[in-house]
Amino acid sequence: MSEFEYLRNVTVGQYIPTNSLVHRLDPRTKLLAALFFVLAVTTTRSVLATLVVIGLLMAVTKLARIEVRYVLRGLLPALPFIVALMLMQLLFQGRYSTCAVVLFEWWFVRITPCLVELVILGALRLVAFLFLVSLLTLTTTASHIMHGIESLLAPLQRSGLPVHEFALANIIALRFIPTIAEEMERIAKAQASRGGDFGGEKWYRPDRIARSRLPLLVPLFVNTLRRAEELVTAMEARGYWGRKGRSKFVELRMQQIDWLALLACLALWLLIWRLPWPGLYNFN
Amino acid sequence: MPPVIRIENLHHTYQRESGAVQALRGIDLSIEPGEYVVLVGHNGSGKSTLAKHLNALLLPTQGEVWVKGWNTRERAHLREIRSTVGMVFQQPDNQIVATIVEEDVAFGPENLGLPRAEIRRRVDWSLEQVAMQPFRHRAPHLLSGGQKQRICIAGVLAMQPEVLVLDEATAMLDPQGRKEALDIAWRLNKEQGVTIVAATHFMREAIHADRLIILDEGRIALQGPPRELFQQIDRLRALHLDAPHVSELAQALHRRFPAFPANLLTPQEIADAVIGCCERREEERERQGWGEARRGGNEEEKETPISNLQSSISSSPSLPLSPLLSLHHVAHYYMRGTPLQVKALEDITIEVFPGEIVGLIGHTGSGKSTAIQHFNGLLRAHEGKVTVLGQDLNDPAVDLRTVRRTVGLIFQMPEAQLFEQYVGDDIAYGPRKQGLSREEVRARVQRAMEAVGLPFAEFKDRITFGLSGGQMRRVAIAGVLALEPQVLVLDEPSAGLDPQARRQLMRHILDLRSRGVTLVIISHNMEELAEICDRLYVIADGRTVMAGTPAAIFGAADDLRAIGLDTPDMTQVAEALKAQNLLPADVVVYTLQQAEEAIAALLAQRAAFAASNDAGSDRS
Repeated sequence: MSEFEYLRNVTVGQYIPTNSLVHRLDPRTKLLAALFFVLAVTTTRSVLATLVVIGLLMAVTKLARIEVRYVLRGLLPALPFIVALMLMQLLFQGRYSTCAVVLFEWWFVRITPCLVELVILGALRLVAFLFLVSLLTLTTTASHIMHGIESLLAPLQRSGLPVHEFALANIIALRFIPTIAEEMERIAKAQASRGGDFGGEKWYRPDRIARSRLPLLVPLFVNTLRRAEELVTAMEARGYWGRKGRSKFVELRMQQIDWLALLACLALWLLIWRLPWPGLYNFN
Repeated sequence: MPPVIRIENLHHTYQRESGAVQALRGIDLSIEPGEYVVLVGHNGSGKSTLAKHLNALLLPTQGEVWVKGWNTRERAHLREIRSTVGMVFQQPDNQIVATIVEEDVAFGPENLGLPRAEIRRRVDWSLEQVAMQPFRHRAPHLLSGGQKQRICIAGVLAMQPEVLVLDEATAMLDPQGRKEALDIAWRLNKEQGVTIVAATHFMREAIHADRLIILDEGRIALQGPPRELFQQIDRLRALHLDAPHVSELAQALHRRFPAFPANLLTPQEIADAVIGCCERREEERERQGWGEARRGGNEEEKETPISNLQSSISSSPSLPLSPLLSLHHVAHYYMRGTPLQVKALEDITIEVFPGEIVGLIGHTGSGKSTAIQHFNGLLRAHEGKVTVLGQDLNDPAVDLRTVRRTVGLIFQMPEAQLFEQYVGDDIAYGPRKQGLSREEVRARVQRAMEAVGLPFAEFKDRITFGLSGGQMRRVAIAGVLALEPQVLVLDEPSAGLDPQARRQLMRHILDLRSRGVTLVIISHNMEELAEICDRLYVIADGRTVMAGTPAAIFGAADDLRAIGLDTPDMTQVAEALKAQNLLPADVVVYTLQQAEEAIAALLAQRAAFAASNDAGSDRS
C-alpha cells in the first residue's frame, strides 16, 4: 500500500518474539543447525531431497509459532534475482550439459531435461538458503547471533583473527539497520514533498535510476557518516579501548535440548546426503 | 574537599580546512563534588567543546584540565578519567551500541572488565535509577526518544561515575522526555551525590542548578546562581539569551510593585508570592466558589474550554470558506498485514482554512507526524477521508505531484534532506523537477531564499554543507517554498536550534502568512504555539481530542494535563493562583502579557499595602 514503508518487507533481520522452543535454543545451536541445513542442501543433487529440506524448514517455522506465509513474503524481494539466475543458467549452461536428450536448440542455447532439473534445483537451493536465514533472524535476536558467532569463532582469536571486533562491528551494523531504514524513509518522503519522484524511471535506464536516487543517497551517506562519528565518540566516552581488558555480560549456556536439536540436524544432513534420493536425470 | 574537576586557562583550537577555529579562549573553572552546574550559550559558544574536555575526549590546545587530580593529558589515567566522568550526548540514537537495552547498559562495565555478577548488579541498579527495568529486553529502536536517552544515561550510570556530563542531552527530546531526563539528573544529584554538568540551550533547565555558567565566544561571560543571573536581563539579551518567562514575569511585576520579589523561578513561587501578598486580606475568601461555578456553565462563550472532547471536534471556526485541507476520521496502520502491525492513527479530524495558522499539539508518538503525512498523500488513509482543495486523495485519479506542490511539507530536521553541493541548486531541485523554465526556476529560488532571509546573491553559490545548522534549515525550508505551495506544513520547525536561530526562523515563518501562505505547525513549544496560532488541535493516541482557539485549549489546562501535555509556564502560574481562588477560573492566561496584566490587576488593589511594606520585603 505505502510506497515509503521500506522496513515492512524486510523479513531478514526482524526478530519476532513468540518465545517458542526454537526461540529459546542457544544461538550456537541454531547457527550450527543452520550449518547442517546448508550442508544438507548443498550436498544433495536431488530436487526431492531439497523439497524435503524446505518442508522441514517450514515445519520448524510452525514450531517457532511464526506464519510460513510471512516468511515467504519476506523472500519476495529476492524473486527477481532468482528468476534472473534461472534465466542465465537456462541460456548459458546448456552447452555443458551431458544429457543426450535435447528439448530445444537454437544458436548457443541448448535446453536438456538435465538442465531443467539443474535450474529448478538451483532455484530451490536459493529459496532454502533465504528461508533459513530468515528463520534464523526471526527466532534469534541479532545480538544473540553475534554472541553465538563470537563464541564459536573464539578459538580463532588466538591465531590473530579479530573475532571480537568483527562481532561488535556486526552488532552495531544490525543495530543501525532500523535507524537508517527509518532515516531513508524520512528522506524519501522529504524529497517527494518537494517534488522529487522515485520509481518513475524505466528499468532499462539504470543510469537515470541511479541519478534519481542521488537525492536519497547523498543525505543518507552524509547523515550516516555523522552518526558514525558520534557513535565513536560515545563509545570512547564509555571507556571502549578494544578487546583488551574487556569482560562479557551475556552468558550462553547449552541445555540438553540444544544437544538433541544438534544431533537431529546432523542426522538430517547425513540422511539427505547419504540416502539414494531419486533424481529424474543424473547430470554431471 | 578538593574540586572534582579543575580547569586552568583552557584554550581549544580546531583545525579546519577553512583555517583554525578558536572554540575556547581561556576558561578557568573548578567544579566541586556534588555540584549541579549548567552551561548555557548559543551555538558556537564553546559549551560542547568544554564538555568534551571534562573526560579527555578532547585535549587542551593550551592550559590544563584535572579530573580528581589526574591531568587529562596523561594517557595512563584515561580509564580512571572516563569512568569518573560519564557523558551523555545529544542524539540518543547515536550512542546506543547494542540491539538489546540491557546489553547496551552493560557495554560500559564490560569495558571496565568487571566480573559478570557485578555487571548484572550494576545493570539492574542503573536501569532502576532511570525507571527502565520493564524495557530491559527490548530493542532500543522501538523506544521513544526520551526512553532512549534514559537508556543512554543508564549506560553511563552503570560505570558509576562521580560526574555526569549532559552534553545537550535534552535538545532532541520532547518536553516529556526532557522532563524525564532532567528529573533523573536532579535525583542523582540530590540522592546519590552525583556531580552534574549540563550543557544546554534552554535557560529553563538551569532553574534547579547550583551554578549557571554562561559561555560566549569561548569565554565565561557570566556565572553565578541562576536566581541572580536571570535578573541581569540586559546582559543576557546582549548575549542573545533570554531569562525564563517566569523570571521575566517576576521582574515585570517587581517593576510595577517594588514589594513583589524579582528573583522568582517557578510558577509555584510566583503564586506563593502573590498569596503572601494577598493573604492578609480576608475579603479574598469571598471569591471562593468561582471555580465550581465556572465548570458547570461554560457554554455561553464562543471560545469554549472543552472538557468533554469528542463532541467538540467537528466545530469549525467561524470562517465562511470551505477548508483547504481536511482529514475526516482518518485511521492509518503501520506494517499493515504483518505480525508487527501497529495502529498509528485511530480517528483524526483536522480542518485547515485559507489564511489560518493552525497548530498541532501532542506527545511524540501521538500520531501528529503521521497525520500530516496524509496532507500531501505521502500516506494514504486506511479509513476516513482526506480532502485537499476539494479533491479526495483516495481517488486514484488525483495527481499526487500537484497535491504535493499545493501542500508543502517540511519534516523535522529538514536539513537532513539536503543533497546538492550548492545552496541554489538544492533549492532549485523541486522547481526543476516540475519542468519550469530556467528563468522561472531562478526567480522562484530567489523568492524562496529571500522569504527565509537568505540573500540570493550572497547565498546561492555557498556550499550547502558548510552552513550553520540554522542556515541549513532555512535552505531546506526554501527548497519547499520554491514550489510556491498554498499551504505549508511544518513539523517542529525550530527543534534543536538555539534560541537566537529559533526566533529568527519563527519570524520568517510568520512572514509567510503575509505572503498568502496558510500554515500548519507542529511544535512542542507551547509558548510559541500560544502566541502565533489561530487554532489548535490536540492529538493523543492517534485521535483528535481537542480543537479550538489557544484561549479555549489553554483554558482547559486540566484536560491537557490529563493527556500528560505541558502547559505554558504562564498558564501554570495562573493555575496555581486559581487553585488558591485568587484568580477567577474563567480567566485564560497563556502569554506573558496576559499573566502580567492579570496579576498586576490582582496586586493593584494592594499597591498601597505593598508600598507600605516596601522597606521590609525588598530583598532582591
